[in-house]
Amino acid sequence: MDMKRARARTGHLPNRLGVKGWAWAGRYTLERYLYTLHRVTGLGLLLYLSMHLIVNGLRLGGEEPWTDAMGVLGSGGFKAGEYLVVAAFTIHALNGGRLILQHLAFTFGKPKPPVYPYVDVMRRRRSLTWIVLGLIAVGLVFALIEFVV
Amino acid sequence: MRETRLKILQYVTGAGLFIIVGYHLWFSQMGGDEATSWESVTERAQSAGWLVFYILLLVFVIYHGLHGLRTIVLELSLPDSAARTLDWVLLAVGLAILGYAAYIPISAF
Repeated sequence: MDMKRARARTGHLPNRLGVKGWAWAGRYTLERYLYTLHRVTGLGLLLYLSMHLIVNGLRLGGEEPWTDAMGVLGSGGFKAGEYLVVAAFTIHALNGGRLILQHLAFTFGKPKPPVYPYVDVMRRRRSLTWIVLGLIAVGLVFALIEFVV
Repeated sequence: MRETRLKILQYVTGAGLFIIVGYHLWFSQMGGDEATSWESVTERAQSAGWLVFYILLLVFVIYHGLHGLRTIVLELSLPDSAARTLDWVLLAVGLAILGYAAYIPISAF
């Protein structure tokens, strides 16, 4: 598709890479990989939500189907799946908090004149990304301990 | 402007879900098997507070999830007509899921 025509029609350039661009399109920064992780965890949580609602619907059938389902879901394999859900929530929620702060420019600081070598605002404020990654690591370890013990 | 409002709503529901889902997960994990026992589930179903909690959770999570999905799909440079169709489909799916999911705690209340 011609890029000018696509831009005139949709107001932006066509996304030639599509989903492949989530993984690689050159020198991505750490934040760009967090963007991919945010999407993957978000889609995973959406998938889990649909399954969760189906299981919750069993409650309408009364005590027996509910208790049977909880018996199956309490087994080892499903516990590992539950940990993945908690891990996905932890990553998505904490990284989402960072995105809100950065999209609304709360963490950008005052504008500075461009002085060579140029550094973009995301790299200048990289400390926030490291803090969020640290919190995610703590959350994942804490949840793992809760699940194992 | 419409897209900005939808995005701000995405942030608001996201911040709300951080608290609501966080509590939901904490409660179900800390409570162990007890939290999902039939007795515990039916006891919570009688509470107006828990009913409000679940409805709020559903509204927030359905909006946040489907708007997030819309953002991902729209990045794939869809034609305008397909984008408009997507909006209506997601709205219909969201309302259908909300209706079904809200019926579960409401019928038990």
